[in-house]
Amino acid sequence: MSDFPLPRIKDFLQSVVPFDTMEEAELQRVVGLMDLAYFPHGEVIIQAGEDPSKNLYVIMNGSVRVTLPRQTGEELLIDVRGEGDTFGALSLLQGELALFTVTAQEDLLAFMLPDEPFRALVRDNPVFKRHFSFSLARNIDAVRRAADHHTTQMTGTDTLGLDAVLTGSRVHELMSKQLLTCLPVTPVKAAAILMTQRKVGSIMVCEAGGRPLGILTDTDLRVRVLAAGVPSDVPVAEVMSRSMKAISPQAFAFEAMIEMARHGVHHLAVTEDQRLVGVISDHDLTMVTGSSPVGVMKEVAKVSSLEDLAGLPRRMNRVMETLLRLGGSAEYMLDVLSEFNDRLTVRLIRLTQTAMEHKGLGPAPVQFSWLALGSAGRREQALHQGQDYAVVYANVPPDREETVHTWFSEFATRMIEGLSSCGFTGTSEAVMNDALLCCRSEAAWEESFMAWVEGAHPPALAMAAKYFDLRAVYAETGFVETLWGKIFNAIEANRDFLGRLYQAGPQTRPPVGFLRQFAVDFDGAYLDRLNLEEVALQPVVEAARIMALDQRLRQTNTLERLGAVTRLGLLKDRMAEDLYEAFSFVTLLRIARRLEESHNGKDEGAYLDPAELNRVQRKMLKESFQVVGKLQEFTAQRYAQ
Amino acid sequence: MNLWQAKLLNRATRLRLAHRRLPDEARANLSVLDGLSGRAPVSAQRYVVVDLETTGLDHTKDRVVSVGAFRVVGGHIRLGEVFNEFANPGRGIPVESIKVHGITPDNIRDARPAWEVFRDFLGFLGRDIVVAHFARFDMFFLNRVMRAQYGMRLQNLVVDTVLMCRAALIEPDPYGQKKGAKRCSLDALAARYGLEVPERHTALGDAMATALILQRLLPEMEHAGWKTLGDLVRVAGVQ
Repeated sequence: MSDFPLPRIKDFLQSVVPFDTMEEAELQRVVGLMDLAYFPHGEVIIQAGEDPSKNLYVIMNGSVRVTLPRQTGEELLIDVRGEGDTFGALSLLQGELALFTVTAQEDLLAFMLPDEPFRALVRDNPVFKRHFSFSLARNIDAVRRAADHHTTQMTGTDTLGLDAVLTGSRVHELMSKQLLTCLPVTPVKAAAILMTQRKVGSIMVCEAGGRPLGILTDTDLRVRVLAAGVPSDVPVAEVMSRSMKAISPQAFAFEAMIEMARHGVHHLAVTEDQRLVGVISDHDLTMVTGSSPVGVMKEVAKVSSLEDLAGLPRRMNRVMETLLRLGGSAEYMLDVLSEFNDRLTVRLIRLTQTAMEHKGLGPAPVQFSWLALGSAGRREQALHQGQDYAVVYANVPPDREETVHTWFSEFATRMIEGLSSCGFTGTSEAVMNDALLCCRSEAAWEESFMAWVEGAHPPALAMAAKYFDLRAVYAETGFVETLWGKIFNAIEANRDFLGRLYQAGPQTRPPVGFLRQFAVDFDGAYLDRLNLEEVALQPVVEAARIMALDQRLRQTNTLERLGAVTRLGLLKDRMAEDLYEAFSFVTLLRIARRLEESHNGKDEGAYLDPAELNRVQRKMLKESFQVVGKLQEFTAQRYAQ
Repeated sequence: MNLWQAKLLNRATRLRLAHRRLPDEARANLSVLDGLSGRAPVSAQRYVVVDLETTGLDHTKDRVVSVGAFRVVGGHIRLGEVFNEFANPGRGIPVESIKVHGITPDNIRDARPAWEVFRDFLGFLGRDIVVAHFARFDMFFLNRVMRAQYGMRLQNLVVDTVLMCRAALIEPDPYGQKKGAKRCSLDALAARYGLEVPERHTALGDAMATALILQRLLPEMEHAGWKTLGDLVRVAGVQ
């Protein structure tokens, strides 16, 4: 058959990621290998705990629920997939018992690509390989639907196991690599001494070549040696547990957990080419599963060194990942993240002050506040984003100004170093120079703000706009409160400020057509990608800022600003709801991107490749763009001069 | 129609043709009912869903111009097993028909005559059960060629999705008022099931639509209590 005779079917698959990247002839060949199946709603297509899926399913019409059966008998909704989405790939590729149950939520029409040809595609086609390996962004629409329903359960104990199931951590990230091993001929006593010296509860017994044979634990020593009256000079081989199961370092943490549960063991040998490379214990797994937001936050206060502090953001990533998978709302996630960043900053301020005192530079000469600006000020910071900040110290007589400024510059420089070692980007020289500029007295800051409101031209205001999102993260004075009052009074007297601020913002409309054409942003390296922050978030942020300043609102968070101006009747309820949805959706996409990048170790900022989105996401993104466009029209009418 | 009746007729045909020299495909077709069990579940059967386009609706003078078919196994439509051929009707195609199926004289100028196309179709069909929407129409044209060519009609079981629809979806009609007739048309069923039918009014497009409808009718039949092949033939068999 040279040409598949029903073009519509081929066209449909051609619009499905990743089939859309296939050559025409190849796609025709693959279509010929497929079945088209119908499942009435309610029918279970894949049952958790049973044989792995024998097909890749591509939904042509209808939707499925992906659920995880719980011990209580209820089911936890993990994902809903719709037209153009796929399912069955995970258990098929892993070749293990299905983890999730997939049920037709509506009458379902789905293409089925059998096991063998699908594996061949994943093996031979890099796009398929990438798409079907673990990907966060793919689950984003599920996240949206699940809303904050599940996040409230984060503190519950029965979700602890679930965390691990859903966490994408791999065994090699969690295993202990400092191995205590001995040969099978080692006397039990010698092994016990080694264990005591290293303060561990177990020792691995390996062949000379490194192949693990078994494990000797504290319990074995008690039960099989002491209680059994075995002399302490027998070789460990005679008393060790031989039921040592092995797992690959590339396996997911949840696989390790399942493996342990299946065999009733607490340790697994991590082997590569039959050689022992690590050990993973149930304790290591509880460490991951225990990474609740509350846990990590508490940790921040306990940390006493910069090194320990720098390790926390990585754990925070894991928390965010879990939240994302469990369906945290954007608002909640941003709150958690900014609360964490705030606490980390405050802790860092304390540590830096102590360090400076130890260096003999003395304590802070006067009272001060640490202000967050821009995205941090709005509590909308993504992971690892550079922080805009300002230090405000109490007014001092002119003769003391220089010494005081010198102390705070040193302080700010150290703070920036600290923040960047915690993963906040940007230790460039520019930022360091900035450290000198951002430390100013209250009077100096006030003067700047007044100058901006009273007469700054749009280009200068474009640079200054982020200062109008200020928020005190650490405050020894009430400076920020007083400043807001003065700013509002100044705006009252200079209404043209709002017009200038509007002009300072970018007035480009989000590219609604982009998603079809796949290229608009002509930034060379990212030709096929889309800068989400610039096109979808920034316009909303700018609009919310102008309206908030217009209405004397002290909120800095964009969603809060929008909520407040809607209550004042400036925006229609319907529009506000749409904006809320759009902003939340794009924010979630952005968080997912950041997480994925921190996994892959690359930094592509807010750039997004639409090819990696599924249909539902693309549709939502397009709708989001349209809403943003409407908001821009509204602000243009109100504020453009 | 019952399965045993079909088998009886098949035996009569075999006896009648026992000493006739028959081409292989006809000989093979005579034995397609062997081993069929009336107790086998309907959902597990192998079906070939077929649709013909013709030069018109008058079966006394019109001819086949196109044959399209899909195989459905275990409820799954096999996208790799497709039969799709034009047939040369040996006469002009009326404008009215061109308007319906879009097949022009140019399309069929190089097509083979219907009997050759049907010969290949027999090979594609094998022992599977034939399914068509308003099957009597398609079977009339098919059997006319079969009789002329081999002296017998098609021996495979044939079921009609219109009859399945009436049995499973429409309330009983003891007074023969035929109130449900229109509700079982291909378009009505496609609308009922929310199917977007690609390339409607081409043989293959209509075969696909019928196959998609069959997929949904099979569970409905089971739900209504007709679970076996014997039930299916009794309710929806046409020959």
